[in-house]
Amino acid sequence: MDRGAAGEAAETLAALEQLRRRTHQRTHGGAWLPALGVAVLLLASMALYRYPLSQTNSIDADYPFWAGLPDEQVSPVASYVFWFVGTPLLFAGMALWYAWRARRYGVRVAWPLVAATGLGVLVLLAVFAAVPTGPVPVGLTLPNGPHWGGLLTPLLPLAAAVVVLGRAERSRGLVAAGGWIALLTAWLCTTFPLGYLPGWFTVMTGGTEFGGQLSLRPGHYLVLMALPLLVVAAVNLAVARRAARD
Amino acid sequence: MTEPRAGRPEATGQPPHPATVLDDVVHQRVRLGILTVLSEAYECRFATLRDELGLTDGNLNRHLRILEQAGLLQVSKGYEGRRPVTWLRLTREGRTALRAEVAALEQLVSRIRTAVLDPPDGED
Repeated sequence: MDRGAAGEAAETLAALEQLRRRTHQRTHGGAWLPALGVAVLLLASMALYRYPLSQTNSIDADYPFWAGLPDEQVSPVASYVFWFVGTPLLFAGMALWYAWRARRYGVRVAWPLVAATGLGVLVLLAVFAAVPTGPVPVGLTLPNGPHWGGLLTPLLPLAAAVVVLGRAERSRGLVAAGGWIALLTAWLCTTFPLGYLPGWFTVMTGGTEFGGQLSLRPGHYLVLMALPLLVVAAVNLAVARRAARD
Repeated sequence: MTEPRAGRPEATGQPPHPATVLDDVVHQRVRLGILTVLSEAYECRFATLRDELGLTDGNLNRHLRILEQAGLLQVSKGYEGRRPVTWLRLTREGRTALRAEVAALEQLVSRIRTAVLDPPDGED
């Protein structure tokens, strides 16, 4: 009798797994567009820097880092407008996309939480650093800090939104991509110049001083940030297309 | 040799038979299907669920009522344009119940597989 019950249980489990996969595909097959949107916004922010990819001998960065990374901006106000208009526009696009998918497929993703997180952190940023110009505080240029002020960057709201998007879309890749953006941003923005290894790291490496990395420009770092998002978007789109064909 | 019966774990000192853990509300095949679909989406439309499981409106409604009364799902009604739409969402209790059910089923299968591959002495 037990063997019959086990066979039935195994059959039920297999059917449930099939149903789960089908629903997963139907629900989360649209994660590629928001991921692509965030990647495009990140890459578009290259236009905010005076030398996004080319070499330079010195950096005159304005603080807070409204362009995103601590480097010379074309105009701090333009950077400010870019993020404070671009980020809400991205979430508006996301809302339209998910509303269309809900009508077409009959399932909803918890996207309002993604928008609330991204916009919430962006508003906090506006509250903490309302003035878009000024020289880099002396503390930020020292290896021993304080560095926390560097975290007032519009890249972190985006990173937080990507992590929440990953949770909503049940995508470990997106969660990791958001974590990667946050990690790179935190490292780059709490050290100056760009890519400077902080004091605690030089202690860990036996006191070796590495200095700043002027050869890697903001554009290179932004590509590094966007790369995991582009990979996740490509994989998600490929899987969605294959599922649509089958 | 008598097999351990469900519901007598304390008599043998062994862990409870997985069949005793199965929840009557959740274990029903259609209701398991409903919970599985809802576990993958934040919210699912009534019509989508009905079509996915190949049920009639009345049949699905009957199962939804049972699950809603058990606190395993939430029903909300709204409009898409002028069309009324019913959205269904799994509650935290529903997710926990589904997880427990699937775990019990997996245990049941694994227990029997072990017994088949490794029969007790004197049994082939």
